[in-house]
Amino acid sequence: MSALNENRKNAVLFTIALVIAAIYLFPLYWMYVTSLKTNSSIFAVPPEFLPGAPQWQTYALIWNESDILRYLKNSIFIATGVTLVTVIVGAGAAYVLARYRSIWIDIALFTILMLQVLPPSLMVTPIFVAFTSLGILEYPRIGTILAISAKTMPFFVILCRAAFMSIPRELEEAALVDGNSRAGAFVMIVLPLARNGILVAALLIFMQGFGEYVYSASLIADNRLQPASIGMTNYLQPNVVTWNAIMAFAATYVTPILAAFVLLQRKIVSGLTSGALK
Amino acid sequence: MTATDQKPQIEFIDVDKHYGSFHALKAINLAIPKGQFVALVGPSGCGKSTLLRTLAGLEKITSGTLNIAGERVNDIPPRKRDLAMVFQSYALYPHMNVRDNLTYALRLKGVSKAERARKADEVAAVIGLDNLLDRKPRELSGGQRQRVAMGRAIIREPKAFLFDEPLSNLDASLRVRMRKEIRALHDRIGSTSVYVTHDQIEAMTMADHVVVMQAGVIEQQGAPLTLYEKPVNRFVAGFIGSPAMNFVPATVDDTGQTIRLDLKGQPTIAIARRFPPGTHVVAGLRPEHVDIGDPDAAGYAPIKISAVEATGSATYLFSDDDPELIIVAAGGHSARAGDTVGFKIAPDRVHLFDPKTGITLGD
Ligand SMILES: Nc1ncnc2c1ncn2[C@@H]1O[C@H](COP(=O)(O)OP(=O)(O)O)[C@@H](O)[C@H]1O
Ligand SMILES: [Mg+2]
Repeated sequence: MSALNENRKNAVLFTIALVIAAIYLFPLYWMYVTSLKTNSSIFAVPPEFLPGAPQWQTYALIWNESDILRYLKNSIFIATGVTLVTVIVGAGAAYVLARYRSIWIDIALFTILMLQVLPPSLMVTPIFVAFTSLGILEYPRIGTILAISAKTMPFFVILCRAAFMSIPRELEEAALVDGNSRAGAFVMIVLPLARNGILVAALLIFMQGFGEYVYSASLIADNRLQPASIGMTNYLQPNVVTWNAIMAFAATYVTPILAAFVLLQRKIVSGLTSGALK
Repeated sequence: MTATDQKPQIEFIDVDKHYGSFHALKAINLAIPKGQFVALVGPSGCGKSTLLRTLAGLEKITSGTLNIAGERVNDIPPRKRDLAMVFQSYALYPHMNVRDNLTYALRLKGVSKAERARKADEVAAVIGLDNLLDRKPRELSGGQRQRVAMGRAIIREPKAFLFDEPLSNLDASLRVRMRKEIRALHDRIGSTSVYVTHDQIEAMTMADHVVVMQAGVIEQQGAPLTLYEKPVNRFVAGFIGSPAMNFVPATVDDTGQTIRLDLKGQPTIAIARRFPPGTHVVAGLRPEHVDIGDPDAAGYAPIKISAVEATGSATYLFSDDDPELIIVAAGGHSARAGDTVGFKIAPDRVHLFDPKTGITLGD
C-alpha cells in the first residue's frame, strides 16, 4: 500500500518537475523555432509550434551580413579575460580565506558576500566615473573585464574556498616536512587536489562573462569592441524588427555554451557537490 | 667518542608554546640522544602533538630554544629541518601513486628518476609493499596505507623520525604487530625516533625513554620500568600500568609504620618507611602487586568481592568498596562474587602520595 502511494507520489513529483522544466525551457525552444520561421509565420495566429519549412538561410544571412563573428570574438575575449583575472586573483584569495582563521578573515568573507549582493546596474555609474578618471576606459574591454571580474569574484572565491577547505591540512604539512616550501606545497599538493572544483568554478565564471550585458553596454561605446550580448540588440531597430534574424543570432550565440554545459553537466554537478578528493 | 657525538640529537630547552591565550606547552626540557626511541605519552589534549609539531617546525615555539643535531632551529622552516614524520591520518598524497608518495621527498631533493625508482623498490621490499607501487592510496587497506606512510619516512635518511599516533587507526592485532616492526626498523636503521601515543602500553613496550605529559607539562621522564616502579606523583602512577593503580585514602597509625586504609573494616597494612602518626596519605596499590589468600591467615586483611572477571590468563577481582579496588589474581582463581578474601601487599610495594599535591612521599 505504502509502496503504491510512494509510486504515485513519485509520479506526481516527476510530472511537476517536467512542467517546471518545460516552462523554463520554453523560451529557449521558442528561440530556436522562431529562428527557423519565415517572417510571416512568426506572427501567425494561432502560433505555429513547429516551423513549416525551416528557413536555414536566416543563419547564413546573419553569418554573412551581420558582424556576429566580431561580436563573438569580443565576447570570448571578455569572457577569457574575466576568467583569467577571477581565477588567478580569486584562487589565491580563496586559499588564504580557507587556511587562516581570525576575525579579520570573517570580516573579509562578509565583505565579499556583500559585493555579491550589489547589482551591477547600481555599481556601473561609480565604476564608469572611476575608470574614466583613471584612464582605464581608454581600453574599454579591459575596463569591462575588470568590472565584471569584481562581480564574479565573490562567487568564485566562495566556491574555490570550499574546494580548498575539503583538502586536509595535514597533506600540506606532510609536504612541508618532506622538504617543500609553502608555495611549493600549494602548487604541487593543493592545486591538483582542488583542480576539479576550480575548473568547474572557472567554467561557470566563463559563462557569466560570456553572457554579461550591463557593464559591456555601459563601458564599451565603440561598436567594434562590443560583445555579442550587445551586438544582438543592435538588431532591434526602431521600424523593422527582424525577429527571425535576432533569434538566429541568439541561437548562434548561446548554442556553443549550451552544448558545453550539457556535455560537462555531470562534471559540473559533481565538482560543485563533492569534495576534491573523490 | 667525540664531543659532538655526546650532544643530544634533539634538545628542548625551556620551551613554551602559546596558542593565543592558551598555554599549550609549559617549560619543556627534553634531551634525546642520537639513536634513542622516545615515547611521548599522556591523555588526549595534553600537548603531545603540539610538542611533536614544534619539533617538526609546523608550529613556532613561543619561547625557549630548540636544537636539532646541535643547531638552533627555532626559526628554521620544516623543509630545512630534515626530519621525517608519520601522521595519524597518514597524510598520503591522494593524487599520487604509492611510488610517487614514497619518493616525493627525494624528488624535492632533486634525486634522479632512476635513483628514485630504485629506492622505492628497495623500501617497498622492506615494508612489504612490492606489488602495490602503482596503486593510489584510496585503493589500499588501512594497514597498507600505514605502511606507505612508514615507507615515506624511512626512504629518507632524516635526522629523526617523528610519529604522531601512527597506529591508532589500526585494529588491535595489527597494532601489536606494527609495534614490533616499527621498533625493529628503528633498531635496524639506527635512527632517532620520537613517538607520540596516548597508549601507555605502546609507550612502555616500544621506547627506551618515556616522557609522561599532562596539561602541557612533562610530569616525569625516564626508562619505562623507572616510571612504573618509581612514579614521582599520583598522575604518573595512575597513568602507567594496566589495570591502573588503586588509590585509597589512608592514615598513618600510632606506630608510624603501618597505615589504616579508608575502606570497610579499616584494614591495616605495613609500609616500608616511618611517617609521623596521624599523617593523611593516599596509598597506591598496583592490582598486580596484591596477594590474595585466606582472610583469616596472619597478615591478610579481609575484603569482600563484588565482581569477578576471568580472562583465562588472569582473574580480575573487584572489591565491594568505595573506592573500588581492582586486584589481579592468577588465572583460574576460584573466588566468586560475594566471597570474602584476604589481601596482602609487600610493604615496599605500597606507594604513598600526598593527598593534596599528589606528590610521591618518601624516598
Ligand atoms: N592550532 C591550535 N590553536 C589553538 N589551540 C590548539 C591548537 N592546536 C592544539 N590546540 C590545543 O592544545 C592542546 C594540546 O593539543 P594536542 O597537542 O593536539 O594534544 P594531544 O596530546 O592530544 O596530541 C589542546 O587543548 C588543543 O585544544
Ligand atoms: Mg594528538
